[in-house]
Amino acid sequence: MLATGAAGATAAAVAVLWKGTDLSQILDRVRDLTHDYQGALSTSRGRAAHLLRRAGFGATSKQLDQYAAMTTSAMTQAVMNYQLTSNAGLEANLPTLDLASAKGPSAAAVQSWWLQRMVQSARPLEEKMTLFWHGLLTSGLDKSGTEQMYTQNQLFRKMALANFDDLLKAVSKDPAMMVYLDTETNRKGKPNENYARELMELFTTGIGHYTEDDVRESARAFTGWTLKGGTQLRYTSQSVFVPRYFDSGQKTFMGKTGNLTGDDIVEMLVPLRATAERLTTKLFTFFAYPNPEPAIVQHLADTFQHSRYNVGAVVSEIFAMDAFYSPKAYRALVKSPAELVAATLRSTGADAKAFAPANTAMGPMGQVLFYPPNVAGWPAGTSWINSTTLLSRINFANAAAQRMRASLPTQSLDQLVGTLVDGNLSPTTRDGLQAFANAHPGDQAGLLFMVMATPEFQLS
Amino acid sequence: MFSRRDFMRQGLLPVFAGSAVPSVFANGVAAAAADSPNATPNDRILVLVQLAGGNDGLNTVIPFQDAAYHDARPTLRQDQGVLTLNQQLGLHPNLKGLKASWDAGQLAIVQGVGYPNPNLSHFASMSIWETANVTGGIGDGWLGRYLNYLDQVGESPNHALEGVSAGSLVPPELRSKIPVTALQSLKTFRLQPVNEHGTQVDIENPLMKFYGAFKTAGPAPFGALLDTTLQEALQASHALQATDASYQAKATYPANSPIASSLKLVAETIVSGLGVRVAHVTLGGFDNHAREKPVHDKLLLDLDVALTAFMQDLQGHGFGDRVLVMTWSEFGRRVKENGSAGTDHGTAAPMFLLGAPVKGGLYGQQPSLSALDNGNLKFTTDFRSVYASVLQGYLKAPASDLLGGNYEILPLLKA
Repeated sequence: MLATGAAGATAAAVAVLWKGTDLSQILDRVRDLTHDYQGALSTSRGRAAHLLRRAGFGATSKQLDQYAAMTTSAMTQAVMNYQLTSNAGLEANLPTLDLASAKGPSAAAVQSWWLQRMVQSARPLEEKMTLFWHGLLTSGLDKSGTEQMYTQNQLFRKMALANFDDLLKAVSKDPAMMVYLDTETNRKGKPNENYARELMELFTTGIGHYTEDDVRESARAFTGWTLKGGTQLRYTSQSVFVPRYFDSGQKTFMGKTGNLTGDDIVEMLVPLRATAERLTTKLFTFFAYPNPEPAIVQHLADTFQHSRYNVGAVVSEIFAMDAFYSPKAYRALVKSPAELVAATLRSTGADAKAFAPANTAMGPMGQVLFYPPNVAGWPAGTSWINSTTLLSRINFANAAAQRMRASLPTQSLDQLVGTLVDGNLSPTTRDGLQAFANAHPGDQAGLLFMVMATPEFQLS
Repeated sequence: MFSRRDFMRQGLLPVFAGSAVPSVFANGVAAAAADSPNATPNDRILVLVQLAGGNDGLNTVIPFQDAAYHDARPTLRQDQGVLTLNQQLGLHPNLKGLKASWDAGQLAIVQGVGYPNPNLSHFASMSIWETANVTGGIGDGWLGRYLNYLDQVGESPNHALEGVSAGSLVPPELRSKIPVTALQSLKTFRLQPVNEHGTQVDIENPLMKFYGAFKTAGPAPFGALLDTTLQEALQASHALQATDASYQAKATYPANSPIASSLKLVAETIVSGLGVRVAHVTLGGFDNHAREKPVHDKLLLDLDVALTAFMQDLQGHGFGDRVLVMTWSEFGRRVKENGSAGTDHGTAAPMFLLGAPVKGGLYGQQPSLSALDNGNLKFTTDFRSVYASVLQGYLKAPASDLLGGNYEILPLLKA
């Protein structure tokens, strides 16, 4: 099949290009076209690199060697069972956030703190899932305070692979969320629909599975919880149940009538098949590739429902599926700015001063941590790539490499390409990099930049 | 004339030739120069201002004499300082610049704009407005289809700055088959140089080769997307660098106002003669479910001050007659305020059209505040009718083809 495909592609390429230009250019194009592009996933090091990109933020050469020596299921277990791995090294390196001050730490401080976690964590999946939840169960600094966002971020980390109903119950009472979607003002006799609507539209079933009456009634059920302290809304990070704020009347939600609470609403939404399909589609799209086949979604939705809505069970199943290591999954995602920046620093080594400028560089690429564009999170996928964001990505690679110029270890082109892009580049690009290396001997920073500027490195 | 798609297609092979300035860019720069304002005096520019989150129309164009308004808005009603338009309606007190435009006959207000079976989801409703398709979806945006049309009829200046947005993302209403550019700054829109021993290293040509190779070697859709995007980026950055970078604002834009910065960037792009036809800016923060008043007051103030500076700047540069500004929001808000001194998602709301091309006045009908649909206003003007009026009356494009249907043309615009 591969041979036929390659031969067919060769013929087509020759036919298309013949009219164009001189023979050497045609041969280069044919060579690129017939290059065994997906071959990387047939090697253990290629599979390790793929898993560590998806489950984390890339890897150093040493980490790749370590994972490449394992079986696929041992790699999955090592990634999944991160609770067994101490993160003491990271915790010791992290700067102290000024949580005691009245207004909380600065946005830049919390953003850099999280970026450092992504880069230095010994538990990459924990940070990756935290990023997933931040993009799905969104809150943002345009309304919520920095300490609240920090508190929410720690909640996502703690419940990264928890049961989804437990996570949603906690998020419903999370101060950052209560400010972002206004549950802190949602009181008996004064319902506020914001959270109730987005809980259904964006966090669970998706549009088309509830009515406007369900929105209005469930808003009443979420009354009662408010922020401790009251007046300084952005600066309080504890919530509290106040019985007199709770609407204890009868509510009718999706056909069921009773004195329903917010937790009751969550318990009615999470078991719905629409929730299972929507969440597992989002997880598969985040880790493997977009638009999963219906059979994959049904399989994962079953896993979700049979495990009492356990997110860890679904994620583990995704990593175990053939589809995850299939050609269709290889480089099938665009690295988000957070992934691109964290992968750059993680793969190349970063000192303590690297995080603040790297954090600043993410905005021009289209992503600022803790500032999702709206409650639907970042649009992701191909929308990460446009002319302004692509220039920003390449300029970041340039600046990061220049910054590290003095401290870069001497690495051959093969070593760099092996660590950063699975040793898998189009022949034209490989030749171009070799030409650059030959023309600029000893310029490690320049060569590193050129590798990070390749189209291959933009993908996950 | 050579269409953009031909240009991109034929541009593909020269980029492999490895000349210092690939011919593809030389063409781009020449095309940009040919599209300078003097060369094509009839070009008209549309600037869309998206009020994201659902703007409270009732507290923007205020039915201040309507008892039902006061009953529905016990804490949010604007009692004082309403800038009266007639005996029933007035602008929010912070819209002083817009009021001055109204007095000068340069502000049209279309009332009660919406669509049948309103969707109260931000994202579903945004998608409907962006595509001008009441089922929404991921197809080309309604202005993207206009850009496609310009390309088809050969009116395309062949570079990626015909459709621009301020920010890091291309908004869905500009999604098209031709390149559209998100801009964060004209000065930084370029590859930063790499220097070695004081000599600039050529990275453009190697990168063009890498991305060109990936177009065939890489997976769909990313191989082609990355290659095309790099070409567009370099093409646009060369065009930007080739222009006279001497823009000086002829108005004072306020500091610390993202909407003012966005509009200033759009003004700079227009004034620099880069062939902009449609531009998009966003002002977010209108989803005011709680404590609406201070937030909404500030948003309208920022909007008004920024728009006023923008119009003054364009007039100062001689572009005043060629620019139409139109605001839109995915929905208005619930008539009755909620218990959090805010408003939940609603339906119909007014739209502003601003500038010298406008025939000032009120259009459409103010919806009743007593005959409601589940607490929400019943729309009186279909938003596609406003789009059709702009496409046909201002941009001189075939509105029914681009909108997939016939909508009433409102006499909003001068000939």
